[in-house]
Amino acid sequence: MIKKLVRNKSEQDQVSSNMTTKQTRYEALVKALHGDLYRYAFWLTHDKQVSEDLVQETFLRAWRALDSLKDEKAAKSWLITILRRENARRFERKRFDMGEYEESAITDTYSASNEQEMENHWLREKIAKLPEEYREPLVLQVLGGFSGEEIAGILSLNKNTVMTRLFRARNQLKDALDDEPMMRGIHNG
Amino acid sequence: MDDLQFRRSIYADPKNLDDALQAALSQDPKKQQFAQEIDRLDDEILQALNVPVPDDLADKLLLKQSFASHRQQKRKTRWHLAIAASIAFAFGLTLNFMLFSNAYSNLSDHALAHVYYEEGYFDNNSQARVSLASLNDKMSDFNASFDSTLGELIAADYCRFNGLKVLHLVFQGNTNPVTVFVVPESDMKFTESFADEKYQGRAMEFSSKAVNGNIVVIGDENESIDQWQRNINDKVQWSI
Repeated sequence: MIKKLVRNKSEQDQVSSNMTTKQTRYEALVKALHGDLYRYAFWLTHDKQVSEDLVQETFLRAWRALDSLKDEKAAKSWLITILRRENARRFERKRFDMGEYEESAITDTYSASNEQEMENHWLREKIAKLPEEYREPLVLQVLGGFSGEEIAGILSLNKNTVMTRLFRARNQLKDALDDEPMMRGIHNG
Repeated sequence: MDDLQFRRSIYADPKNLDDALQAALSQDPKKQQFAQEIDRLDDEILQALNVPVPDDLADKLLLKQSFASHRQQKRKTRWHLAIAASIAFAFGLTLNFMLFSNAYSNLSDHALAHVYYEEGYFDNNSQARVSLASLNDKMSDFNASFDSTLGELIAADYCRFNGLKVLHLVFQGNTNPVTVFVVPESDMKFTESFADEKYQGRAMEFSSKAVNGNIVVIGDENESIDQWQRNINDKVQWSI
């Protein structure tokens, strides 16, 4: 009986130490990746509040499923996959009119204090206007640092499609830049 | 590598140029200029994509998780408690059932079992006798009496059928004692006529009077049980 109690105790210790490890892992994950996740969510939803909710929901799910994450290197794409699924779920629950967002909703997060910020603002609008299917791989590549293969994996597309979309995304942005003589001036200046 | 292919590759992934692209670059200053331009564009895209993250987001995430896991733990203990309670309850029920359930639900089974159990105690040739008066004294507990004696009464005593107070009468029979049980009303089922390899029995129900009860007669194959039954029927008096 006492033996059993002792064993129970040590099992409990093990459980709580597992919990501590899990907690540490989780905190590290949050600290390292919440920024990337939030930005990714923002470019998916164009809404700060929705992005925050989405990131919270994503991390809660990640906490519950943390044991299934074996490879820490895959953490980012794992979280992004969860986030994309959560985002899709949001549309299942309630169909927001996200296709026609107000341009003012693309918030000017910096006050346009200098030329660089003005240009960022201008470029943000252009990026926001890119078709979703072009923007998403671009965000994953530039912001997430994923390779073509990895993006193909996350979006369930083949790599050639991803590369074509990346090409078109940048091409459209470049054309927009070239068509904007005023901005062009600032760009060069 | 033609120009279009070159441009497509640069546009698709300006930060990771493979060897073929590097080679093409080094040969053509115009291509170099183009690559630099796109590279610069990419830096700008990166800056534009880098929207500021709310400062407290990480803390919020940790807080929310700690609440969630706390709730989960609480749910778990409650769940354990519920399981423990259910097991205790089921155990209690089983014990109760095993301790207090009836071995026999049938009146005739009870009576037969009792006869077998006390088979050795009574001798048909026993000289012990119980008087009609003392029999009727015992019968008064059941609000019944006998007008005259049914036969030679060897023994009369109270017994218990599964907690039920029963009068056990043993009469002298042809070869073996004949047993009569006076049973007060109960929810035990009974069959009017029953038998096994050794004994045969009849059960009578008296329910038309103010008092309800059964009388069971059991004897071996040498007895005319029907005759006993008729005798009892004639001689028993139920008082109000």
